[in-house]
Amino acid sequence: MSVTSANAAPTGLAALANPTRFLALVARVLPFLWVLTVAVLAVGLWMSFNVPDDYQQGRTVRIMFVHVPAVWMAMGAYMVMVSGALGVLVWRHPLADVAARAAAPFGAAFTFLGLATGSIWGRPMWGTWWVWDARLTSFLLLLIIYLGLLALWNAIEEPARAARLAAVAILVGALNIPIIKFSVDWFTTLHQPASVTRLDGPTLAPEFLYPLLVMGLAFLLLFTTLHLMAMRNEILRRQIRTLQRKMARSVGQGARKSWKVRA
Amino acid sequence: MSELFGTRYFEFIASSYAITALVLMAMVVWVLLTQRSRRRQIASLEEAGIRRASRQKAKSP
Repeated sequence: MSVTSANAAPTGLAALANPTRFLALVARVLPFLWVLTVAVLAVGLWMSFNVPDDYQQGRTVRIMFVHVPAVWMAMGAYMVMVSGALGVLVWRHPLADVAARAAAPFGAAFTFLGLATGSIWGRPMWGTWWVWDARLTSFLLLLIIYLGLLALWNAIEEPARAARLAAVAILVGALNIPIIKFSVDWFTTLHQPASVTRLDGPTLAPEFLYPLLVMGLAFLLLFTTLHLMAMRNEILRRQIRTLQRKMARSVGQGARKSWKVRA
Repeated sequence: MSELFGTRYFEFIASSYAITALVLMAMVVWVLLTQRSRRRQIASLEEAGIRRASRQKAKSP
């Protein structure tokens, strides 16, 4: 797919409004992103397995290195959808809806992963798989919001209409994000308060903080890579839709022509 | 003590890493399978003579 164009090339986000140019950029960066993702994930896993045991949690502290990055990405994917929604409603950027829609399945998957690993961690540490406290309940709500948005997108055939409706729904659902983040401060929860993203700096010991940050970066890289691929898939889906309509039209025209010949 | 503690909860640690590996791999496989099916669909439509507007311009006017 060639991108050479005689037109004056716009720069920045405007340049990416052209799907052909966006696809060319994706094709160029993906190999590097894959190599980087695998490398950082390998380092992160190695660091995770080589931490000392926590004085309270023992070895189960290792669950943190998959649980916390999954939760970060669950909320990060939602922030991508929020910026996509703003892009749809405010700037009408053609790729904004594509970006929002492509992030949703990964957001849902990371949210599920956060709930599952949290539950597995809760059993030995809290003595229960699940409790209806504010943090866990608001996080479960995030999964329901993701699934609701996916259902909304699938229910509306026309992309432009789906984009506006979904954008409004995303912004309404965004109210849940600060609730998740601050639930541990506002309410009495079984879940512990924040220990990394705090105004006064992380309280986590460096031997646990560094592997956590590296795993966080690995998850972020994986999400970015997959998100770009899913955006490309979404652009392809829309191209298929256009081609199918074109085919339907040409079949219709063909039918009219043959009818005229017979008449 | 820590050795005992570690072995005691081994199944919890192993299962959380296993489910993580499973979900991450499922995401990768899903993206790749979707990509393959969309590319095939486009190829078959183009084979049927339906071209995208951007490619049509390249043909003689």
